Amino acid sequence: MNNYQLMIKADDKQVVLERILQVARYRGFLISGINARVNTGTSIGTIELLVRSERPIELLVDQINKLIDIKEVTVDNSASQQCNA
Amino acid sequence: MTTDKNLTGGGLLFNVLEQHGVEHVFGYPGGAIMPIYDALYDSNVEHFLCRHEQGAAFSAVGYARASGKVGVCLATSGPGATNLITGLADALADSIPIVAITGQVATASMGSDAFQEIDIFGLSLACTKHSFQVTDINDLAQVLHEAFAIALEGRQGPVLVDIPKDIQLAQVNGCLDDLVNLENKVKLPPANVGSAIALLNQAKQPILYVGGGVGMANAIDELRSFAEITGVPSVSTLKGLGAVNPGDENYLGMLGMHGTKAANLAVQECDLLIAVGARFDDRVTGKLNEFAPHAKVIHFDIDTAEINKRRVADAAILGDLKVNLPALAIPLSIGPWQEKCQGMKTDFGWDYNHPGETIFAPAVLKEISDNMPKNTCVTTDVGQHQMWAAQHMLFDDPSNFLTSGGMGTMGFGVPAAVGAQVSRPTDCVIAVSGDGSFMMNVQELSTIKRFQLPVKIVLIDNAKLGMVRQWQDLFFNGRLSETDLADNPDFIMLANAFDIKAKLITNKSEVSAAIEEMLEHDGPYLLQVKIDAQDNVWPLVPPNTANDKMMEST
Repeated sequence: MNNYQLMIKADDKQVVLERILQVARYRGFLISGINARVNTGTSIGTIELLVRSERPIELLVDQINKLIDIKEVTVDNSASQQCNA
Repeated sequence: MTTDKNLTGGGLLFNVLEQHGVEHVFGYPGGAIMPIYDALYDSNVEHFLCRHEQGAAFSAVGYARASGKVGVCLATSGPGATNLITGLADALADSIPIVAITGQVATASMGSDAFQEIDIFGLSLACTKHSFQVTDINDLAQVLHEAFAIALEGRQGPVLVDIPKDIQLAQVNGCLDDLVNLENKVKLPPANVGSAIALLNQAKQPILYVGGGVGMANAIDELRSFAEITGVPSVSTLKGLGAVNPGDENYLGMLGMHGTKAANLAVQECDLLIAVGARFDDRVTGKLNEFAPHAKVIHFDIDTAEINKRRVADAAILGDLKVNLPALAIPLSIGPWQEKCQGMKTDFGWDYNHPGETIFAPAVLKEISDNMPKNTCVTTDVGQHQMWAAQHMLFDDPSNFLTSGGMGTMGFGVPAAVGAQVSRPTDCVIAVSGDGSFMMNVQELSTIKRFQLPVKIVLIDNAKLGMVRQWQDLFFNGRLSETDLADNPDFIMLANAFDIKAKLITNKSEVSAAIEEMLEHDGPYLLQVKIDAQDNVWPLVPPNTANDKMMEST
């Protein structure tokens, strides 16, 4: 089981967090932790998502990227390596 | 279009639909969508009352697939909305652009477990490309514009818009915004053209693996041109049928679980697999790690998430097929491979010899295919009849073969035919169904009657859930479980009850005349074709087995 940390930027729209969590679960990633906040000035949400799975993280990144309200998804490699250490 | 400057939300909905060129919608009214149905009175949109919301959703899917336009369906809150879900899931699995409008209880009542309240917005997350709930009347027009844009951009799909009753009733300025034009939401990396050209030039035994994305991208001409210029032998997925010219000597037919022997053997032997708008579905690949085991892969797609999802691509060509296919269309020297593939196609052609007097469904479907008018649109349900139709009928465009591919939804065929016939009123529309599937949305015969739609229904009747029965016989030691349908209703009486002319045939000698009578009949017609309950679909690749280890008989 590999651990990954994702940094997600999203428009502050209805149910965007639910959409991300649903996709993560459906695509086979267990959620170990989450931290979410919204910049009320820009209406951009930032979500740090800690997930674990046997599957390559690219599968989840590509699926989250397809969600309409998502602006950017990156894998925090340094954080992911620390999680796996 | 209602021209009042001040409109209700319901009126604005129809104005926006008209702005997007919507002429027909499919739906079923109810309490929480009554203001929208009231506004329907003043619009130019024609509404087709279906007899179940699932039928309305499938009709919208059939309409979209047959016409290339966005299909629209309406339902009320609660059970009306939940009844749409199977249709939405079907549209998501097959990437079909539909917009579903649901009524919702008034915003003040939401979250109170009100009468006919369900969180359809939450339920929609897993079965739509995107969804909205409108909580401010001033957002309604923009949300609807976005819904149409999202349904069509990139990889197409279903979008749901949930509108509470007070929003439908609210007064709003009727001035219309400009249309939203969304480009592909995901920014695509540059196509790996150089690597792909190198792979093409190195290949001695390439195969073109054609999926439903070709038709969705409206890239049929480009695909056929690519096949002609390169000369690469081709195979098709279920949803790709019609994209390749069926008369192309290098076309080997459908691949996968019930694919042709030639198609599956060629794919297993190929050294380069050129996947075009296809997603390496499990029904196509069989045992994944033994699928096309010697092949490098070039993968054309619009959806980044399909690249490397089930098979690693040696060259990914992301983007519009209409642009990318011509960029790789180069002549190749693969004469010996073409000859080998053509030889397999000849050697392993279909055999229509069938002992006895009982009717052989593959022969019936081939005869219908040979005699149906040009540009006939065929829909199917799901099961043995679906695979026989895919194997034995020929289509010259994907919009002429509508079948539930990804979701495999029984009950799809008749309502999809309703939608197809509404979108193409002058074309012949034939629903090929089975006695199990037919009963799943049989109420839509009433929609056919109500609008006098000249849909032809070919009911392949073995009084069984035939495909499940086949699997129980083959893989569950013949322990038949809940697959006998000997207590089916009298289908002729049933059709007649809906003023639909119907005929039963049980003997081979009756087939040709019955097909001629059906095709010449002006109105709706049901042809019940009794077949032997033990007939199986062959070839069959057993589950978790490589595609070259197909079964061809018991």
